[in-house]
Amino acid sequence: MNLPRLYHRLRLTVVQVRSLHGSSNVQQVETAAVAAESDPVSSQFSVFRTSENDPACHTDLHAGQYYTLPTAQLRTLFPHGLPYRFQMQIKTFNEACVMVRQPALELISYLKKADYSRPALRYILYGETGCGKTMSLCHALHFCATQGWMVLHIPDAHLWVKNCRELLPSSSRPGRLDQPLQASLWLKNFKTTNDRFLSKIKTTQRYVWTKRETTEEGRPLGELVDQGVARVKSSSDVVGALLRELRLQAGGAAEGAFRLAVAVDGVNALWGRTTLKKEDKSEVLPEELTLVHNLRKMLRNDWSGGAILTTLSHTGSLYKPRSAYLPMELLGEEGFDTMDPFVPVPVSSYTEKEFESCYLYYMDRHWLQHPHSQTEEGKKELIFLSNRNPSILERLCATL
Amino acid sequence: MPELEVTFTVTVMKSVTLQEVNLNSTLCNYYFFSVNSKFINMIMQDGNKVLSTEIVTQTLEAIKRKQVEKYHKAPAAEREAIECNPYTIFHQALENCKPVIGLANIQKGSRTYQVPIPLTEKRRRFLAMKWIITECRDNKHRRTHMYEKLSQELLSAFANEGNVIKRKHELHKMAEANRAYAHFRWW
Repeated sequence: MNLPRLYHRLRLTVVQVRSLHGSSNVQQVETAAVAAESDPVSSQFSVFRTSENDPACHTDLHAGQYYTLPTAQLRTLFPHGLPYRFQMQIKTFNEACVMVRQPALELISYLKKADYSRPALRYILYGETGCGKTMSLCHALHFCATQGWMVLHIPDAHLWVKNCRELLPSSSRPGRLDQPLQASLWLKNFKTTNDRFLSKIKTTQRYVWTKRETTEEGRPLGELVDQGVARVKSSSDVVGALLRELRLQAGGAAEGAFRLAVAVDGVNALWGRTTLKKEDKSEVLPEELTLVHNLRKMLRNDWSGGAILTTLSHTGSLYKPRSAYLPMELLGEEGFDTMDPFVPVPVSSYTEKEFESCYLYYMDRHWLQHPHSQTEEGKKELIFLSNRNPSILERLCATL
Repeated sequence: MPELEVTFTVTVMKSVTLQEVNLNSTLCNYYFFSVNSKFINMIMQDGNKVLSTEIVTQTLEAIKRKQVEKYHKAPAAEREAIECNPYTIFHQALENCKPVIGLANIQKGSRTYQVPIPLTEKRRRFLAMKWIITECRDNKHRRTHMYEKLSQELLSAFANEGNVIKRKHELHKMAEANRAYAHFRWW
């Protein structure tokens, strides 16, 4: 039974039925007509791929299909945001294809409809391990970038609360601890993503870093970032200053107005415990870390002109049971109260249609090499073994 | 090929670790089970079978990744020639490493002679696997992972290059050089 051919026939009949019923949405009919015309030309792979590469135009029609991220822009868009296995996949398949899924579409529709003169809305993507929260976040960030927003992406907040080689006592405030390596690395990546904004935005205050180094009022933000990258010792304070400036100036009425998308992956790290220890072997609380303290201020909804997109993540979280995935369990009392008016977006495993699409994509890319996996029986075994969980399916198919 | 019937009851599985899933999936690979499991046992140290199966699965994945990457970057004319199935590459590499003839120490009088003898299939397979594993353990850079070293060695053996193939050829040359003593063999 030739599955792609069957889907192709089913899809054609669905398209015809839809146009017969006379849908009121002109765009849908147009896309359906275009799809019906181009189907004979690109019949075999139109089932799981779509040529619509602009996230703003993705609708429910494209749900379950793969769209391609342009390789030229990948380095600037996501210098540090994509999951490691996905980066390996991009290298192997020579292209970056992301599946359009329901949670990402929901998030993008909220972003389109929100009122940006009101305080920033907080969105939390939650779900079981390996269901696609980070990828949905990256899809939404691609949408923000194509709309010309400024993107503030913290790829994994857990990296700031564990495995830190150098913990310096803060130069500006007693009782706080700096993390120069993490801060300077993040600043470098921030600069790659948002280069074009940095020359336009100006500082509103004079910052004194040491006795000899200051940043005057009215200097472009690019100088601030360069200061942090060059002088690694004060980079955590630079991050704090940068966040403060962006908070004050996002969505202003001036002609240099921009919208700010704050994206934090693994936001539950900010309110959990850390594995870092001070010199007297006592545990460091997250509030005592400069980076975490400033990021928490950013996540409060007292600024307007942007959106706060976050993900809960259990992998990488510290001292949490393996079955925890709900916001209450992972954020804890304190975190939940701070994030409280938020929009929850649940992310679940693949539906049947999405699983089919993923399977066909792997077949197209010659990823499933074992002869048994290319049969119907093998597909049923894959469904059983992975329970349609995207990351487990990906690791299984890698070994086959 | 013995038909292994894998029956399973359909139950709802919640979160499963990758190690549990991988042990289940080798049941499905019944076609390649026998050779793969011998290799896994030979890599195993201190009875740590979990670690050695992980290494072998990571090796197969690394081989597949390299070949699929090469496949996608090659122009359409060369794509047919690139082999992407890690299992066939593993088998072919092993075949290429198997020596045809071996040497045995036979004592005649007070002297021990290196006599060329035919090898059984089991011995040939054992020698090929042993050479691959010792080559990867001893002669490679300390900081690369075992699966990385193994995948490099297997891919070069597939193309009939590399240190293991050289070792096989040296054994053949020694046997050819000592063919005068072949009549010392009595079996």
